[in-house]
Amino acid sequence: MKLKHVILSVLFIGFCTSVNAQWKKNKANEDTKIWRYDLECEGIAKKGSKLVKVWSYSKNPKHAISRGMKNAVHGIIFKGYAGGGQGCTPFQALVSDPSVEEKHKEFFDSFFADGGAYLRYVSSATDGSIAPGDRLKVSKREYKIGVIVNVQTDQLRKLLESKGIVKALNSGF
Amino acid sequence: MKSHKLFTLLSALLFCALCFGQAKKPTLMVVPSDVWCNQNGYMLNFDNQGTVTRIPDYKRAFQENPEVLQVISQINGMMAERGFPLKNMESAIKTMESNAVEDGLRSSKDSGASVAESPIDAIKKAAKADIIIQLTWTVNTTGPKKSINFNLQGLDAYTDKQVATATGTGAPSFSAEIPVLLSEAVLAHMDNFTLSLQQHFDDMFENGREIIVRIQTWDDWDGDLNTEFGGEDELGYVIEDWLADNTVKGRFSTTDITESMALFEQVRIPLYNDKGRAIDARRFVRGLSKYLSDAPFNIQNKLVMKGLGRATIILGSK
Repeated sequence: MKLKHVILSVLFIGFCTSVNAQWKKNKANEDTKIWRYDLECEGIAKKGSKLVKVWSYSKNPKHAISRGMKNAVHGIIFKGYAGGGQGCTPFQALVSDPSVEEKHKEFFDSFFADGGAYLRYVSSATDGSIAPGDRLKVSKREYKIGVIVNVQTDQLRKLLESKGIVKALNSGF
Repeated sequence: MKSHKLFTLLSALLFCALCFGQAKKPTLMVVPSDVWCNQNGYMLNFDNQGTVTRIPDYKRAFQENPEVLQVISQINGMMAERGFPLKNMESAIKTMESNAVEDGLRSSKDSGASVAESPIDAIKKAAKADIIIQLTWTVNTTGPKKSINFNLQGLDAYTDKQVATATGTGAPSFSAEIPVLLSEAVLAHMDNFTLSLQQHFDDMFENGREIIVRIQTWDDWDGDLNTEFGGEDELGYVIEDWLADNTVKGRFSTTDITESMALFEQVRIPLYNDKGRAIDARRFVRGLSKYLSDAPFNIQNKLVMKGLGRATIILGSK
Protein backbone atom coordinates (compact mmCIF):
# COMPACT_ATOMS: atom_id res chain seq x y z
CA MET A 1 0.00 0.00 0.00
CA LYS A 2 2.83 2.33 1.00
CA LEU A 3 4.74 1.59 -2.19
CA LYS A 4 1.69 2.43 -4.24
CA HIS A 5 1.51 5.86 -2.60
CA VAL A 6 5.18 6.56 -3.28
CA ILE A 7 4.82 5.62 -6.97
CA LEU A 8 1.75 7.77 -7.33
CA SER A 9 3.51 10.74 -5.67
CA VAL A 10 6.56 10.40 -7.95
CA LEU A 11 4.35 10.24 -11.03
CA PHE A 12 2.38 13.27 -9.86
CA ILE A 13 5.54 15.33 -9.23
CA GLY A 14 6.92 14.33 -12.64
CA PHE A 15 3.69 15.36 -14.34
CA CYS A 16 3.66 18.71 -12.54
CA THR A 17 7.29 19.44 -13.52
CA SER A 18 6.58 18.64 -17.15
CA VAL A 19 3.46 20.81 -17.18
CA ASN A 20 5.36 23.64 -15.50
CA ALA A 21 8.21 23.43 -18.08
CA GLN A 22 5.73 23.45 -20.96
CA TRP A 23 3.89 26.39 -19.40
CA LYS A 24 7.17 28.32 -19.05
CA LYS A 25 8.05 27.59 -22.69
CA ASN A 26 4.63 28.72 -23.85
CA LYS A 27 4.96 31.85 -21.74
CA ALA A 28 8.31 32.64 -23.33
CA ASN A 29 6.86 32.05 -26.77
CA GLU A 30 3.92 34.29 -25.91
CA ASP A 31 6.26 37.06 -24.80
CA THR A 32 8.13 36.97 -28.10
CA LYS A 33 5.22 36.00 -30.35
CA ILE A 34 4.60 39.58 -31.39
CA TRP A 35 8.29 40.05 -32.15
CA ARG A 36 8.64 42.92 -29.74
CA TYR A 37 12.34 43.72 -29.64
CA ASP A 38 14.86 46.39 -30.62
CA LEU A 39 17.95 45.75 -32.67
CA GLU A 40 21.10 47.83 -32.69
CA CYS A 41 24.50 47.47 -34.26
CA GLU A 42 27.32 46.64 -31.87
CA GLY A 43 30.28 47.11 -34.20
CA ILE A 44 31.82 45.74 -37.38
CA ALA A 45 31.78 41.94 -37.27
CA LYS A 46 33.86 39.52 -39.28
CA LYS A 47 33.11 39.02 -42.97
CA GLY A 48 29.61 37.72 -43.68
CA SER A 49 28.13 38.43 -40.26
CA LYS A 50 26.65 41.22 -38.16
CA LEU A 51 27.35 41.88 -34.51
CA VAL A 52 24.13 43.13 -32.96
CA LYS A 53 22.64 43.82 -29.57
CA VAL A 54 19.04 42.69 -29.37
CA TRP A 55 16.83 44.12 -26.64
CA SER A 56 14.02 41.71 -25.77
CA TYR A 57 11.10 42.49 -23.47
CA SER A 58 9.63 40.02 -21.04
CA LYS A 59 8.09 39.71 -17.59
CA ASN A 60 10.74 37.14 -16.81
CA PRO A 61 14.35 38.16 -17.54
CA LYS A 62 15.26 34.53 -18.29
CA HIS A 63 12.77 34.41 -21.14
CA ALA A 64 14.16 37.60 -22.61
CA ILE A 65 17.66 36.12 -22.64
CA SER A 66 16.58 32.84 -24.17
CA ARG A 67 14.59 34.60 -26.90
CA GLY A 68 17.37 37.05 -27.77
CA MET A 69 18.88 34.85 -30.45
CA LYS A 70 15.55 34.20 -32.12
CA ASN A 71 14.72 37.90 -32.08
CA ALA A 72 18.14 38.80 -33.53
CA VAL A 73 17.71 36.45 -36.52
CA HIS A 74 14.17 37.72 -37.03
CA GLY A 75 15.44 41.30 -36.89
CA ILE A 76 18.12 40.70 -39.51
CA ILE A 77 15.55 39.10 -41.83
CA PHE A 78 12.65 41.49 -41.33
CA LYS A 79 13.66 44.69 -39.55
CA GLY A 80 17.27 45.73 -40.13
CA TYR A 81 18.75 48.49 -38.03
CA ALA A 82 19.87 52.08 -38.23
CA GLY A 83 23.58 52.83 -38.13
CA GLY A 84 25.24 54.11 -35.03
CA GLY A 85 28.59 54.41 -33.34
CA GLN A 86 31.60 52.16 -33.77
CA GLY A 87 31.62 52.55 -37.54
CA CYS A 88 28.19 50.96 -37.97
CA THR A 89 26.32 51.69 -41.16
CA PRO A 90 22.55 51.24 -41.56
CA PHE A 91 21.51 47.70 -42.47
CA GLN A 92 18.39 47.09 -44.47
CA ALA A 93 16.51 43.89 -43.69
CA LEU A 94 17.18 40.91 -45.96
CA VAL A 95 13.47 40.85 -46.83
CA SER A 96 12.21 44.21 -48.02
CA ASP A 97 8.55 43.23 -48.31
CA PRO A 98 6.90 42.59 -44.89
CA SER A 99 4.15 40.49 -46.46
CA VAL A 100 6.75 37.83 -47.27
CA GLU A 101 6.53 36.53 -43.70
CA GLU A 102 2.86 35.73 -44.19
CA LYS A 103 3.41 34.35 -47.70
CA HIS A 104 6.03 31.86 -46.49
CA LYS A 105 4.39 31.25 -43.12
CA GLU A 106 5.04 27.52 -43.16
CA PHE A 107 8.77 27.97 -43.71
CA PHE A 108 9.16 30.70 -41.09
CA ASP A 109 7.05 28.84 -38.51
CA SER A 110 9.33 25.82 -38.70
CA PHE A 111 12.47 28.00 -39.02
CA PHE A 112 11.67 29.93 -35.84
CA ALA A 113 10.31 26.96 -33.89
CA ASP A 114 12.02 26.15 -30.59
CA GLY A 115 15.32 24.51 -31.52
CA GLY A 116 14.61 25.42 -35.15
CA ALA A 117 17.06 26.05 -37.98
CA TYR A 118 17.52 29.68 -36.96
CA LEU A 119 20.02 28.50 -34.32
CA ARG A 120 22.49 27.60 -37.09
CA TYR A 121 22.78 31.26 -38.06
CA VAL A 122 23.34 32.90 -34.69
CA SER A 123 25.84 32.61 -31.89
CA SER A 124 26.33 34.39 -28.62
CA ALA A 125 29.12 36.95 -28.65
CA THR A 126 29.53 37.21 -24.87
CA ASP A 127 29.21 33.61 -23.64
CA GLY A 128 25.67 34.42 -22.59
CA SER A 129 26.69 36.93 -19.92
CA ILE A 130 24.66 40.13 -19.73
CA ALA A 131 26.31 43.44 -18.86
CA PRO A 132 24.74 45.11 -15.79
CA GLY A 133 23.59 48.04 -17.92
CA ASP A 134 21.82 45.68 -20.32
CA ARG A 135 19.38 44.34 -17.70
CA LEU A 136 16.73 47.02 -17.29
CA LYS A 137 13.45 46.95 -15.41
CA VAL A 138 11.22 49.09 -17.59
CA SER A 139 8.03 48.76 -15.53
CA LYS A 140 6.78 47.02 -12.41
CA ARG A 141 6.39 43.72 -14.17
CA GLU A 142 8.57 43.97 -17.25
CA TYR A 143 12.26 43.64 -18.06
CA LYS A 144 14.25 44.76 -21.08
CA ILE A 145 17.34 42.63 -21.60
CA GLY A 146 20.11 43.35 -24.09
CA VAL A 147 22.01 40.37 -25.53
CA ILE A 148 24.94 40.70 -27.92
CA VAL A 149 24.91 38.08 -30.65
CA ASN A 150 26.62 37.40 -33.95
CA VAL A 151 24.26 36.69 -36.88
CA GLN A 152 25.67 35.04 -40.00
CA THR A 153 23.91 37.27 -42.49
CA ASP A 154 25.58 35.93 -45.65
CA GLN A 155 24.59 32.34 -44.85
CA LEU A 156 21.12 33.47 -43.89
CA ARG A 157 20.72 35.37 -47.15
CA LYS A 158 21.90 32.35 -49.13
CA LEU A 159 19.30 30.20 -47.38
CA LEU A 160 16.53 32.68 -48.22
CA GLU A 161 17.78 32.87 -51.81
CA SER A 162 17.75 29.09 -52.14
CA LYS A 163 14.16 29.00 -50.83
CA GLY A 164 13.14 31.68 -53.35
CA ILE A 165 12.19 34.12 -50.60
CA VAL A 166 14.67 36.81 -51.65
CA LYS A 167 16.26 37.41 -55.04
CA ALA A 168 19.97 36.86 -55.53
CA LEU A 169 22.03 39.72 -56.97
CA ASN A 170 22.75 37.69 -60.10
CA SER A 171 19.25 36.29 -60.59
CA GLY A 172 17.93 36.89 -64.08
CA PHE A 173 21.41 37.15 -65.62
CA MET B 1 19.15 4.54 -80.35
CA LYS B 2 15.75 6.21 -80.11
CA SER B 3 16.20 7.09 -76.45
CA HIS B 4 19.67 8.50 -77.25
CA LYS B 5 18.11 10.87 -79.82
CA LEU B 6 15.41 11.89 -77.37
CA PHE B 7 18.04 12.64 -74.72
CA THR B 8 20.03 14.78 -77.18
CA LEU B 9 16.89 16.68 -78.16
CA LEU B 10 15.94 17.32 -74.53
CA SER B 11 19.48 18.47 -73.73
CA ALA B 12 19.42 20.87 -76.68
CA LEU B 13 16.06 22.29 -75.57
CA LEU B 14 17.31 22.76 -72.01
CA PHE B 15 20.44 24.47 -73.30
CA CYS B 16 18.34 26.84 -75.43
CA ALA B 17 16.07 27.64 -72.49
CA LEU B 18 19.06 28.40 -70.29
CA CYS B 19 20.72 30.55 -72.96
CA PHE B 20 17.70 32.59 -73.88
CA GLY B 21 16.23 32.90 -70.41
CA GLN B 22 19.02 35.11 -69.14
CA ALA B 23 19.44 38.84 -69.66
CA LYS B 24 22.82 40.18 -70.77
CA LYS B 25 24.92 40.43 -67.66
CA PRO B 26 26.63 43.77 -67.18
CA THR B 27 30.35 43.76 -66.41
CA LEU B 28 31.55 45.63 -63.34
CA MET B 29 35.00 46.96 -62.53
CA VAL B 30 36.42 48.84 -59.54
CA VAL B 31 38.34 51.96 -60.56
CA PRO B 32 40.12 54.37 -58.19
CA SER B 33 38.50 57.79 -58.54
CA ASP B 34 40.25 60.84 -60.03
CA VAL B 35 40.11 62.48 -56.59
CA TRP B 36 41.93 59.56 -54.96
CA CYS B 37 44.55 59.42 -57.75
CA ASN B 38 45.09 63.18 -57.47
CA GLN B 39 45.37 63.17 -53.67
CA ASN B 40 47.85 60.30 -53.76
CA GLY B 41 49.95 61.68 -56.61
CA TYR B 42 49.02 59.14 -59.30
CA MET B 43 48.43 61.62 -62.12
CA LEU B 44 49.97 62.12 -65.53
CA ASN B 45 50.37 65.57 -67.10
CA PHE B 46 50.33 65.99 -70.83
CA ASP B 47 50.27 68.95 -73.13
CA ASN B 48 47.03 68.94 -75.08
CA GLN B 49 47.67 71.61 -77.77
CA GLY B 50 48.94 74.13 -75.23
CA THR B 51 46.64 73.19 -72.35
CA VAL B 52 48.10 71.03 -69.59
CA THR B 53 45.70 68.17 -68.95
CA ARG B 54 45.91 65.85 -65.94
CA ILE B 55 44.72 62.26 -66.22
CA PRO B 56 44.88 59.43 -63.63
CA ASP B 57 47.86 57.08 -63.89
CA TYR B 58 46.12 53.82 -62.93
CA LYS B 59 49.05 51.60 -63.87
CA ARG B 60 51.39 53.34 -61.42
CA ALA B 61 48.70 53.33 -58.72
CA PHE B 62 48.36 49.53 -59.02
CA GLN B 63 52.12 49.03 -59.08
CA GLU B 64 52.95 51.27 -56.13
CA ASN B 65 49.98 51.33 -53.74
CA PRO B 66 49.26 48.10 -51.81
CA GLU B 67 46.22 49.63 -50.09
CA VAL B 68 44.32 50.07 -53.35
CA LEU B 69 45.03 46.43 -54.20
CA GLN B 70 43.78 45.32 -50.78
CA VAL B 71 40.52 47.26 -51.08
CA ILE B 72 39.86 46.16 -54.68
CA SER B 73 40.68 42.56 -53.84
CA GLN B 74 38.28 42.62 -50.88
CA ILE B 75 35.47 44.18 -52.96
CA ASN B 76 36.09 41.70 -55.81
CA GLY B 77 35.92 38.80 -53.35
CA MET B 78 32.68 39.94 -51.77
CA MET B 79 31.04 40.57 -55.14
CA ALA B 80 32.16 37.15 -56.42
CA GLU B 81 30.46 35.56 -53.41
CA ARG B 82 27.24 37.27 -54.51
CA GLY B 83 27.57 35.68 -57.98
CA PHE B 84 28.93 38.82 -59.59
CA PRO B 85 32.68 38.45 -60.18
CA LEU B 86 34.17 41.78 -61.20
CA LYS B 87 36.65 42.59 -63.93
CA ASN B 88 40.03 43.32 -62.38
CA MET B 89 41.31 46.61 -63.74
CA GLU B 90 44.98 45.80 -63.21
CA SER B 91 44.64 42.59 -65.22
CA ALA B 92 42.59 44.38 -67.90
CA ILE B 93 45.37 46.95 -68.35
CA LYS B 94 48.00 44.19 -68.61
CA THR B 95 45.93 42.21 -71.14
CA MET B 96 45.42 45.33 -73.21
CA GLU B 97 49.15 46.01 -73.30
CA SER B 98 50.08 42.46 -74.23
CA ASN B 99 47.39 42.41 -76.95
CA ALA B 100 48.80 45.64 -78.39
CA VAL B 101 52.30 44.11 -78.52
CA GLU B 102 51.01 40.91 -80.11
CA ASP B 103 48.93 42.83 -82.69
CA GLY B 104 51.96 44.97 -83.59
CA LEU B 105 54.11 41.92 -84.24
CA ARG B 106 51.49 39.78 -86.02
CA SER B 107 51.61 39.45 -89.80
CA SER B 108 49.91 37.29 -92.38
CA LYS B 109 51.85 34.16 -93.39
CA ASP B 110 50.88 34.54 -97.06
CA SER B 111 50.87 38.28 -97.76
CA GLY B 112 52.77 39.73 -94.77
CA ALA B 113 49.83 42.06 -94.06
CA SER B 114 49.46 43.37 -90.52
CA VAL B 115 46.28 43.41 -88.38
CA ALA B 116 43.83 46.12 -89.53
CA GLU B 117 43.12 48.85 -87.00
CA SER B 118 41.21 52.03 -87.67
CA PRO B 119 41.80 55.16 -85.55
CA ILE B 120 38.45 54.45 -83.86
CA ASP B 121 39.59 50.90 -83.01
CA ALA B 122 42.69 52.39 -81.38
CA ILE B 123 40.64 54.79 -79.24
CA LYS B 124 38.27 52.00 -78.20
CA LYS B 125 41.18 50.03 -76.75
CA ALA B 126 40.62 50.85 -73.11
CA ALA B 127 39.88 48.94 -69.93
CA LYS B 128 36.09 49.20 -69.78
CA ALA B 129 33.03 47.84 -68.05
CA ASP B 130 29.28 48.44 -68.17
CA ILE B 131 29.19 49.62 -64.57
CA ILE B 132 32.21 51.38 -63.12
CA ILE B 133 32.56 51.13 -59.34
CA GLN B 134 34.38 54.33 -58.49
CA LEU B 135 36.36 54.06 -55.29
CA THR B 136 37.48 56.93 -53.06
CA TRP B 137 38.75 57.00 -49.52
CA THR B 138 40.43 59.61 -47.42
CA VAL B 139 42.14 59.24 -44.08
CA ASN B 140 40.93 61.74 -41.48
CA THR B 141 43.41 62.52 -38.71
CA THR B 142 42.51 64.33 -35.51
CA GLY B 143 45.49 64.25 -33.16
CA PRO B 144 46.35 60.59 -32.69
CA LYS B 145 42.89 59.47 -33.89
CA LYS B 146 42.41 58.18 -37.40
CA SER B 147 39.26 57.37 -39.32
CA ILE B 148 38.42 56.49 -42.89
CA ASN B 149 35.95 58.32 -45.10
CA PHE B 150 34.84 55.74 -47.65
CA ASN B 151 32.87 56.26 -50.85
CA LEU B 152 31.79 53.69 -53.44
CA GLN B 153 29.83 54.85 -56.47
CA GLY B 154 28.38 52.53 -59.09
CA LEU B 155 28.25 54.50 -62.35
CA ASP B 156 26.53 53.34 -65.52
CA ALA B 157 29.17 53.77 -68.21
CA TYR B 158 26.61 54.70 -70.88
CA THR B 159 23.96 56.80 -69.20
CA ASP B 160 26.45 58.36 -66.72
CA LYS B 161 23.89 57.78 -63.99
CA GLN B 162 24.86 56.70 -60.49
CA VAL B 163 23.11 53.39 -60.07
CA ALA B 164 24.50 52.29 -56.69
CA THR B 165 26.20 53.93 -53.76
CA ALA B 166 27.60 53.41 -50.28
CA THR B 167 29.35 56.11 -48.35
CA GLY B 168 30.22 56.97 -44.77
CA THR B 169 32.90 57.55 -42.16
CA GLY B 170 34.19 54.73 -40.01
CA ALA B 171 34.74 54.77 -36.25
CA PRO B 172 37.84 56.74 -35.19
CA SER B 173 40.66 54.65 -33.76
CA PHE B 174 43.81 55.45 -31.80
CA SER B 175 45.63 52.23 -32.55
CA ALA B 176 44.26 50.53 -35.69
CA GLU B 177 46.39 50.76 -38.81
CA ILE B 178 45.08 52.10 -42.11
CA PRO B 179 44.71 48.66 -43.82
CA VAL B 180 42.61 47.45 -40.86
CA LEU B 181 40.40 50.54 -41.00
CA LEU B 182 40.04 50.09 -44.77
CA SER B 183 39.06 46.46 -44.35
CA GLU B 184 36.41 47.48 -41.80
CA ALA B 185 35.13 50.18 -44.16
CA VAL B 186 34.66 47.67 -46.98
CA LEU B 187 32.86 45.22 -44.65
CA ALA B 188 30.64 48.01 -43.34
CA HIS B 189 29.63 49.36 -46.75
CA MET B 190 29.41 46.44 -49.15
CA ASP B 191 25.96 45.29 -48.01
CA ASN B 192 24.50 48.72 -48.69
CA PHE B 193 26.27 48.91 -52.02
CA THR B 194 25.00 45.54 -53.22
CA LEU B 195 21.53 46.42 -51.97
CA SER B 196 21.39 49.60 -54.07
CA LEU B 197 22.80 47.64 -57.02
CA GLN B 198 20.05 45.05 -56.52
CA GLN B 199 17.45 47.83 -56.60
CA HIS B 200 18.93 49.04 -59.90
CA PHE B 201 18.71 45.52 -61.37
CA ASP B 202 15.14 45.12 -60.08
CA ASP B 203 14.21 48.38 -61.82
CA MET B 204 15.93 47.15 -64.98
CA PHE B 205 13.97 43.88 -65.00
CA GLU B 206 10.71 45.75 -64.42
CA ASN B 207 11.14 48.77 -66.69
CA GLY B 208 13.78 47.62 -69.18
CA ARG B 209 17.43 48.45 -69.66
CA GLU B 210 18.19 52.16 -69.93
CA ILE B 211 20.25 53.09 -72.97
CA ILE B 212 21.30 56.09 -75.05
CA VAL B 213 20.50 56.32 -78.76
CA ARG B 214 22.21 58.86 -80.99
CA ILE B 215 21.32 59.70 -84.57
CA GLN B 216 23.95 61.42 -86.71
CA THR B 217 24.32 62.13 -90.42
CA TRP B 218 27.28 61.83 -92.79
CA ASP B 219 28.16 65.28 -94.14
CA ASP B 220 27.83 64.09 -97.77
CA TRP B 221 24.22 62.93 -97.26
CA ASP B 222 21.65 64.99 -99.13
CA GLY B 223 18.86 64.48 -96.56
CA ASP B 224 18.38 65.58 -92.96
CA LEU B 225 16.10 64.90 -90.00
CA ASN B 226 13.62 67.54 -91.17
CA THR B 227 13.17 65.86 -94.56
CA GLU B 228 9.96 63.96 -95.33
CA PHE B 229 10.72 60.58 -96.88
CA GLY B 230 8.24 58.55 -98.91
CA GLY B 231 5.29 60.82 -98.09
CA GLU B 232 5.71 60.17 -94.36
CA ASP B 233 6.24 62.67 -91.55
CA GLU B 234 9.58 64.44 -90.98
CA LEU B 235 12.32 61.91 -90.31
CA GLY B 236 12.87 63.13 -86.72
CA TYR B 237 9.22 62.41 -85.86
CA VAL B 238 9.35 59.05 -87.66
CA ILE B 239 12.27 58.00 -85.45
CA GLU B 240 10.48 59.22 -82.31
CA ASP B 241 7.37 57.24 -83.29
CA TRP B 242 9.46 54.08 -83.79
CA LEU B 243 11.02 54.52 -80.36
CA ALA B 244 7.61 55.10 -78.76
CA ASP B 245 6.32 51.88 -80.36
CA ASN B 246 9.30 49.73 -79.43
CA THR B 247 10.48 50.90 -76.01
CA VAL B 248 9.13 49.49 -72.73
CA LYS B 249 5.95 51.45 -71.91
CA GLY B 250 6.98 53.93 -74.63
CA ARG B 251 9.64 55.44 -72.38
CA PHE B 252 12.35 57.67 -73.82
CA SER B 253 13.33 61.33 -73.73
CA THR B 254 14.32 63.41 -76.72
CA THR B 255 17.20 65.34 -75.21
CA ASP B 256 18.32 67.14 -78.32
CA ILE B 257 17.31 67.19 -81.96
CA THR B 258 18.54 69.29 -84.88
CA GLU B 259 18.45 68.71 -88.60
CA SER B 260 21.74 66.79 -88.49
CA MET B 261 21.62 64.99 -85.11
CA ALA B 262 19.33 63.66 -82.43
CA LEU B 263 20.02 62.42 -78.93
CA PHE B 264 17.58 60.17 -77.11
CA GLU B 265 18.23 59.45 -73.43
CA GLN B 266 16.48 57.28 -70.85
CA VAL B 267 15.45 54.92 -73.63
CA ARG B 268 14.06 51.85 -71.88
CA ILE B 269 14.58 48.78 -74.02
CA PRO B 270 13.19 45.30 -73.34
CA LEU B 271 15.71 42.76 -72.05
CA TYR B 272 14.57 40.10 -74.54
CA ASN B 273 13.38 40.24 -78.14
CA ASP B 274 10.26 38.48 -79.44
CA LYS B 275 12.29 35.26 -79.88
CA GLY B 276 13.18 35.35 -76.20
CA ARG B 277 16.82 36.20 -76.85
CA ALA B 278 18.63 38.66 -74.62
CA ILE B 279 19.26 41.95 -76.37
CA ASP B 280 21.42 45.01 -75.79
CA ALA B 281 21.47 48.51 -77.28
CA ARG B 282 23.00 47.34 -80.55
CA ARG B 283 20.40 44.62 -81.13
CA PHE B 284 17.58 47.00 -80.24
CA VAL B 285 18.76 49.87 -82.47
CA ARG B 286 19.37 47.35 -85.29
CA GLY B 287 15.56 47.29 -85.58
CA LEU B 288 15.46 51.05 -86.17
CA SER B 289 18.36 50.79 -88.60
CA LYS B 290 16.50 48.18 -90.67
CA TYR B 291 13.25 50.17 -90.47
CA LEU B 292 14.99 53.24 -91.95
CA SER B 293 16.82 51.29 -94.64
CA ASP B 294 13.59 49.62 -95.85
CA ALA B 295 10.85 51.21 -98.00
CA PRO B 296 9.43 53.83 -97.95
CA PHE B 297 12.48 55.57 -96.41
CA ASN B 298 15.32 53.67 -98.12
CA ILE B 299 17.96 55.49 -96.06
CA GLN B 300 21.28 53.67 -95.96
CA ASN B 301 22.84 53.88 -92.53
CA LYS B 302 25.65 52.68 -90.33
CA LEU B 303 25.10 51.26 -86.85
CA VAL B 304 27.82 51.85 -84.27
CA MET B 305 27.73 50.43 -80.73
CA LYS B 306 29.40 51.08 -77.42
CA GLY B 307 28.95 48.33 -74.86
CA LEU B 308 25.52 47.19 -73.70
CA GLY B 309 24.01 50.62 -73.39
CA ARG B 310 24.85 52.99 -76.20
CA ALA B 311 24.24 52.80 -79.96
CA THR B 312 24.54 55.36 -82.76
CA ILE B 313 23.01 55.35 -86.23
CA ILE B 314 24.79 57.46 -88.84
CA LEU B 315 22.45 58.22 -91.73
CA GLY B 316 23.51 58.52 -95.38
CA SER B 317 25.70 55.51 -96.08
CA LYS B 318 27.36 52.48 -94.49
